[in-house]
Amino acid sequence: MKPLLTHEVGSLDKPSWRVKAYAGQPLSEDDVESARHWGERLSVPEYPALIDLLRAAPLGREQKQALRRWSSLYAVRLLETAGLDAVYDGEQQRTEMYDWTVAHSEGFERRGSVRAFDNKYYTKAAATGPVSLREPFLNDEFAYIHSVAQAELKVPATGAYTIADWSFDEHYYRDGDLTLAAEQRRAARHSSRRRFVLDVARNIIRPNMQALIGLGARWIQVDEPGASTEPDELELFAESFNASVEGLDATFSTHLCFSDYDLFFPAIEAMTACRQFAVGFANYDSLELGTSHESRPGYRVIPKFRDLSYRPILGLGVVDIHSDFIESPELVRDRILYAVDVFDDPHRIHVTPDCGLRTRSWQVAFAKLRNMVAGTELARKALGL
Amino acid sequence: MSAALPDPVLAYQPGIYPRSERVVAATRGLERGRVTQAEVDGAYREDLDDFVQVQKQARLDFFSDGLLRWQDIFRPLAHAAGVPARILTRWFDNNAFFRAPELETPLGSRDVILDAIVPDGSVPLPRVGTLPSPYMFSRAAATHADRNQLMLDIARDVLQPAARVLAGAGCRLIHLQEPWVGFFGIEGGDVAPFERALAALGDGVDAGIVLHVYYGDAGRFVDWLRRLPVHAVGVDLVETDLAALGTGWEVGLMAGCVDGRSSIVEDEERTAELVRQVAETVQPPVLYVSSSSDLELLPRDVARLKVQCLGGAVRRLTQPVAP
Repeated sequence: MKPLLTHEVGSLDKPSWRVKAYAGQPLSEDDVESARHWGERLSVPEYPALIDLLRAAPLGREQKQALRRWSSLYAVRLLETAGLDAVYDGEQQRTEMYDWTVAHSEGFERRGSVRAFDNKYYTKAAATGPVSLREPFLNDEFAYIHSVAQAELKVPATGAYTIADWSFDEHYYRDGDLTLAAEQRRAARHSSRRRFVLDVARNIIRPNMQALIGLGARWIQVDEPGASTEPDELELFAESFNASVEGLDATFSTHLCFSDYDLFFPAIEAMTACRQFAVGFANYDSLELGTSHESRPGYRVIPKFRDLSYRPILGLGVVDIHSDFIESPELVRDRILYAVDVFDDPHRIHVTPDCGLRTRSWQVAFAKLRNMVAGTELARKALGL
Repeated sequence: MSAALPDPVLAYQPGIYPRSERVVAATRGLERGRVTQAEVDGAYREDLDDFVQVQKQARLDFFSDGLLRWQDIFRPLAHAAGVPARILTRWFDNNAFFRAPELETPLGSRDVILDAIVPDGSVPLPRVGTLPSPYMFSRAAATHADRNQLMLDIARDVLQPAARVLAGAGCRLIHLQEPWVGFFGIEGGDVAPFERALAALGDGVDAGIVLHVYYGDAGRFVDWLRRLPVHAVGVDLVETDLAALGTGWEVGLMAGCVDGRSSIVEDEERTAELVRQVAETVQPPVLYVSSSSDLELLPRDVARLKVQCLGGAVRRLTQPVAP
């Protein structure tokens, strides 16, 4: 892979025309105008057909399928127009990274909304039986995106540990009799948890990846935002990653975010099949320019990634996805230069946002990504690349 | 009441209660410009009415407003103190996050405005209010200050005024959330400052202070916890061995008897039996029965059943059906 390769991490917001038309809600002129505006801005020459589709709402089943693909196409073009080297579709065809996986698996039942933070929620399910893959659930979107994308593809796919961690467990561990000794209960919980996580890895995630690889996927990013949730389970996280990917013929990376990254060491030393760690740092960093250690407090932990024996690439989060603040190219540049200095090898640094940008508007996401690419160019120039 | 049970045994549900699907949709819609503030307010009102009704039906002994509008346990207090809360930080070992208050000492010069924490007038009396413990607050904050000094400042300048406001609004109990001690423990050098902070927090507050240690084994600290200047100590029985709690407590005990993080709803009869065992083992002067942690991390329908279980379990013990 080229040095300082740029890519997104996963999700983008779904446009209002996609959300409303898919849900059968009335579209406003603003919604239609948004489709027209972005169609022109992103050079989607066939966009008048989308406008016609929106004018035909309410949509039938096949029209809704077409609508999802339009949304995919727009997102691919947004990322390509921003100048990224590797793209996908902002997960436009999925409901959400957790729900989409669970909805296509056996052994889960939805339980309701649970808050992640502020007014952000996810629909949490419970494992109510042995879990397994009902049907490969990324094949259709991959086949479509593969047919329209001009840039290299990196497929984001939620990882086993996160799926298990974000679920309730009503099957693997049932008896919570609080009159038993706490140590006995704790041991039972841990062993049940291990069975749950590894069942998700072996019976859902791995066969789904095999299906993707069969369609031509070459780079799959295993999204594990839940990986560090339980510090005493990091070895289980690493084991589940290996169980998901070992022996499969593709490049595998993983995405970690919003954690105390120190916790991952030494557990991830075992993840030798992981070629890249895409990690969010900008959320913790200063907004001041500078390439000194003091200027870049958010990147304090990166030497630990550098020192991993299997020499993975670090996907360096340089854009905060929880703020509308648009990082300047110079700020992006300085974050990159600092990391390259620490790693002493630009080939081991990729440039990314902290996480998926779905909580930002397309306007903000586009501006952030454009500046990310511009900042990367500044860094390349400064490094003579 | 059974001779073996302390008198009283009381049930309550503190902390942040989950929001309904209607509030979830309304707040999401507001952020996307598809819903008005009035519609959001109406959804919150329905949630509050519903939670009050759930507590009444469960015959709880203290009533909470469920902190339904709180974005996390620190946010209204950070706003009141005029400090930013920006950095998204994981809430212990959960798929949930809070925004760390950015605090530097001294806080005393700030005008702390606490209107946002006063329970709505529709919440019946007596009430229970919930606040973060000063130790957790000082450890969760983003700061360059000495955290023990910060803890004292928070206790004196933010939490004590907040506790007084809550007591003045009919809260007979002030429930302090202290998962930090449960999850991470506490260093020896932090113990005395924490005790001073608790004393400062309770100074002049006309309500019982309950310190709830959860997300970890309270048995490790039980001898110390029993000596703290509080009305009662709360423990998380999902993580704590009942046998480790000892016996003959001098302070009250709040027993976290239903799991605040599991979607499996406890059996009422088994929960009542657990409460009986707790009472007989620990023999506290007063026994409060509640959840192991607040119910925020559960879907609302599950949380409702857990509240009903709590109230039902206590009634089974205190008002047994005549043979």
